[in-house]
Amino acid sequence: MIVADDVSKWFGDLVAVSEVSFEVGPGVTALLGPNGAGKSTVLRMLCGLTGPARGTIRVLGADPRTDLEVRRRIGLVPQQEGVFEAQDALGFVELAAVLHGLPDPAAAARHALGVVELDPDDPRRISTYSKGMRQRVKVAQAIVHDPAVIVLDEPLTGLDPRQRLHMVELFQRFGAEGRCVVVSSHVLDEVERFGSRVLVIAQGRLAAVGDFRAIRDLMDDRPHRIRVRTDRPRELAGGLLERSGVLGVQLADASTVIIDTSEVATFRATVAVVAREVDARLREVVPLDDDLDSVFRYLVGQP
Amino acid sequence: MSAPTLPSPARRPSSPPGAFVAIYKLLLRNLATRGRIAGIGALGVLTMIAAAVVGNAHLIDPLRSGTRFVDGGLTIFVPVGALVFASAALGDLVDDSTLVYLWLRPLPARVPVLAAFAAAVTICLPLIGVPMVISAVLVDGSPELIAGTAESVGVAVVAYCAVFTMWGIRIRRALPWGLAYILLWEGFVASAGQTASKVALRAYTRSLLSEATGVGLRLATFTAATGLIVPMVVGVLCLVYATRVLRRTDIA
Repeated sequence: MIVADDVSKWFGDLVAVSEVSFEVGPGVTALLGPNGAGKSTVLRMLCGLTGPARGTIRVLGADPRTDLEVRRRIGLVPQQEGVFEAQDALGFVELAAVLHGLPDPAAAARHALGVVELDPDDPRRISTYSKGMRQRVKVAQAIVHDPAVIVLDEPLTGLDPRQRLHMVELFQRFGAEGRCVVVSSHVLDEVERFGSRVLVIAQGRLAAVGDFRAIRDLMDDRPHRIRVRTDRPRELAGGLLERSGVLGVQLADASTVIIDTSEVATFRATVAVVAREVDARLREVVPLDDDLDSVFRYLVGQP
Repeated sequence: MSAPTLPSPARRPSSPPGAFVAIYKLLLRNLATRGRIAGIGALGVLTMIAAAVVGNAHLIDPLRSGTRFVDGGLTIFVPVGALVFASAALGDLVDDSTLVYLWLRPLPARVPVLAAFAAAVTICLPLIGVPMVISAVLVDGSPELIAGTAESVGVAVVAYCAVFTMWGIRIRRALPWGLAYILLWEGFVASAGQTASKVALRAYTRSLLSEATGVGLRLATFTAATGLIVPMVVGVLCLVYATRVLRRTDIA
């Protein structure tokens, strides 16, 4: 649904995005990257708010920068907080519905506000809203026209935990319905719940794309770290050290061993065998660094 | 939300009906802040007070004095009032990054530009035009001066609103730069001579006033037709350019 081909963008001497190519299909894709990595520039280009200096971007086969029709099928939640402060939530979302030419803008706006759990009859101006409520109004205006592509730039900012959960479920639902949902966020715990597909941008370049667990498995130069809880840690550590693929063993405390291995699959089979050999009971075997946070840190080079 | 059931783009017009009116209403509300209304309203009141003072003086030629008074208004009050509102019509949206909510809709760029222009004119015509016409009545009250004032101020408001609508979207910190343009270009450089005056709107609007009252004004050398057509053409060109800028600008 989205295709970026060799896209670069620079502002004066500053290269914001450099030679980025990727494809995004239906479902939820998380766009990750440290601050200043170029995430927002990528999202802005996906929506046509700025054009690439080089390369091409196609959304549903069209150029979002120049093709008005494709804008009917894109919904954007921008990062900035600014909204039309003098309007109430219904007026703001209804304006979006009118501008999209929906046959019954008021009904569409009410429905969209209901989806984000806001009261359409709330007469207060948006200027009086909390950050979380504003964020939900922004989501409502982005979905009011039932878009096929939804782009959300830091949509969880300002939301309380319950609202975050609701939004995550909402984005998952959109993805399950076959929409293309691209979400940028720095809240990795939440992003992990969107799904496992990620686009990682670091220093303006595409660091990785795909399922983050698969990406982790491809990182041969990074040993996998696994925590094992057992009643006989010393014996287990000694037995594991003799096995191939085990790069290091560390006794963390009286019942915990931390193992670095280059072969996760082999290790999973080996640890049970060794435990039996040394008469140790395994209480827990947990990978420590195949979560999104670890993968992200590896990819962007953060400690 | 139901599953995406996207209509064929061809079934919908490129500019949804009601889009212009919706944006116009939005921008009208955005523009009509208490501060702006109070500021330009105060200038209008000051203009009328000054007109009353001049009108109560024992004037040898009230029509001539009235024409010169209105010409003064065309030099400062009208362009400054138009600048304050028209430059903010889209400029405010650029500044607070809300332009994205209009830009990312299936609308031709001319729709928000024309709505912004219309909103600025809607506010400026009564807020600037009424005090100017009342001032003309207070100074002289002759039909020639009142008609000339209404005509020249009306043309000036429309033309300056078009210029400053473009200005607001093209230039950051449009207000100080606009004031500099009004004072330095329209007020000073363009007064330097016949050739320079041709590139200032003021020369055309004061020609309209001069033609209507029959009172000669410096550098007011254009016919009424030229005085009407050139500002309108300039206005249209500015709106076309603003549309082009909006279409090509990077949206924050």
